[in-house]
Amino acid sequence: MIRFGPGNLRIPKFEKPVYVVAGGLTDYRKKYPEKNTCQLCTEALRMAVEENDLKVDPEKFRRMVNWCVYSQFADHFGDQLLAAAKIHDYLGFDPLGNVEIKTGGATGGSAVLAAAQAIASGYANCVPVVGWERMDEVTTKVGNSYIASAACKDFESELGWMYAAYYALMAQRYQYENSVPHETLAKIAVKNRLHAYYSPFAQNPGKYTVEDVLKNEIVSDPLTFLECCVMSVGAAVLILADEETAHKLTDKPVQLKAICGGSHTLRTADRRNMPILLLPNETEATYKEYFQGRRHEWPGFSSFLAARMAAYLAYNMAGIKDPVEDFDVLETHDAFTISDVQTYEDIGLRPYGRGHEFIDSGDAYFDGRLPTNLSGGLIGTMHAVGATGVFQLVEVLWQLQGKYDKFHGDPKMWTRYGKKKPADWKSLQAKNPKRGCAISHAGTGSHVTCAIMEKP
Amino acid sequence: MAINWPTRAAEVLNEEPLVIKNDKFWYHIHSYGGWGKFFQGLRAKKLLATRCANPKCAEKRLWLPPRAECPDCWHDMEWVEAPQVGTIFTHSTVTYPGELFRLAPGTPLISVELEGVCTKLMSWLKDGKPAFGMKVKAVFNTAKPTNTILDLAWVPA
Ligand SMILES: [Zn+2]
Repeated sequence: MIRFGPGNLRIPKFEKPVYVVAGGLTDYRKKYPEKNTCQLCTEALRMAVEENDLKVDPEKFRRMVNWCVYSQFADHFGDQLLAAAKIHDYLGFDPLGNVEIKTGGATGGSAVLAAAQAIASGYANCVPVVGWERMDEVTTKVGNSYIASAACKDFESELGWMYAAYYALMAQRYQYENSVPHETLAKIAVKNRLHAYYSPFAQNPGKYTVEDVLKNEIVSDPLTFLECCVMSVGAAVLILADEETAHKLTDKPVQLKAICGGSHTLRTADRRNMPILLLPNETEATYKEYFQGRRHEWPGFSSFLAARMAAYLAYNMAGIKDPVEDFDVLETHDAFTISDVQTYEDIGLRPYGRGHEFIDSGDAYFDGRLPTNLSGGLIGTMHAVGATGVFQLVEVLWQLQGKYDKFHGDPKMWTRYGKKKPADWKSLQAKNPKRGCAISHAGTGSHVTCAIMEKP
Repeated sequence: MAINWPTRAAEVLNEEPLVIKNDKFWYHIHSYGGWGKFFQGLRAKKLLATRCANPKCAEKRLWLPPRAECPDCWHDMEWVEAPQVGTIFTHSTVTYPGELFRLAPGTPLISVELEGVCTKLMSWLKDGKPAFGMKVKAVFNTAKPTNTILDLAWVPA
């Protein structure tokens, strides 16, 4: 669609306010032979219910649940159709109703959106969202093939059987149009892997230098291995409730002010140009000079219309005027360094063509204006695809509740996963954050959700 | 009469914790449906695109990959030959392709811009070094076609 009608841009509305009360994770690993998928989901649910200072015991909590949402990206990976039914039963939620949501990399975000819709409509008042992915059943090469099955099998998958290659094509074009120094991109990989260094959940933490990233081996030019996300096994759980139930469960509920979705063509090839959809912090004047006046050549290959659409709806729904000012923490879907820069522009952290300034200005850092991916993100911590969007919101929830240290700094959390808390561990708890945002993203931008949580 | 135990065993990859290997041996039957004409066209060195046949349709641009039905009005589309000379819109060389890739690692992938076509077809460069704006022409694998999108490639024009 390249021309919007009045119904297309209607701002979504919740009939009842939606709250988030608790979150739980597993650690994330390349291989996890010690635990099967049912067990990983149980472990994440147990953390959510037993370690989030809830005012009810697990048994009482179980009696409060009335709907469940499951989040898994690819049946290919798990090799188990209807895995949700097996997990739902394993978690002891039979015979409650449930759905399993699937929107590629954005599955986690979409699952939370589906749970929010259930709460907002009054259909349910206490809903766990359970996300997972098991990516260790096949070799990395086959895994890349499976992921590339989420490109168009008729016209694109055969060209590489590798998602990094499809992103690389966009990256090259973005670089041709914007010439972002590779050093800036490398800084994103360095930042997120450093954040992961402080997380007991992280799969690929490390103290790297920009030089390390630049010298790293190339997957598909210009992307190096260190600039690409991990492939993980693990689970994540987020518990949503209506206002009354939220207060029965916790003294620290956080409101889900908005969660909205956008989409764009699965094939990047099919992206037709249109005028830029403006966010609340942009005007026609913002783009007077963009592309030397070729303002209508958008979104092309270098912008994610789905992300812009999701942000447009969510910002208007939550009353966001300027994301860098209004958000205190942000989690992006940093599958690749360059797609992260593209996203900064799509969600209005900087105007199109200037996304790199969000990094170069220092804004994205822990002590910057909008600390981004304090969790370690997809590059440093995890990408167990179905769990990813859920994981992001769990980390934002803990930030808003002031619980970063509880879950990342307790030495027992590290020993639980067979790790040792680093001697130079540092707290990444943001200073009294009020509002957080998370972007969940699929394909080469086929589905994106934008979620905004706020402390009451 | 007792029934025999199965003879095909699953290999044990690890004993503690127990991990076994499940083999899979089958193929998928891939139906191109209304898009098959495009792949048959490649065998005849034709680059077949589609255009909406609805006179009232606002867009009516040429689609490649082709669509049998118009995304703007859902009307049937007509097959039209697309130009076989275009320019490289973007490119990347894939060093580590996934398992099913049939071309050599190091193959340059390209997106091609063609005059009058509203999409930017993803393909590969069979010869030469890719560059932005480079003029390329289509070549076709007619000798032993794979009947996939790989039967189309581009070389410097
Ligand atoms: Zn039409």
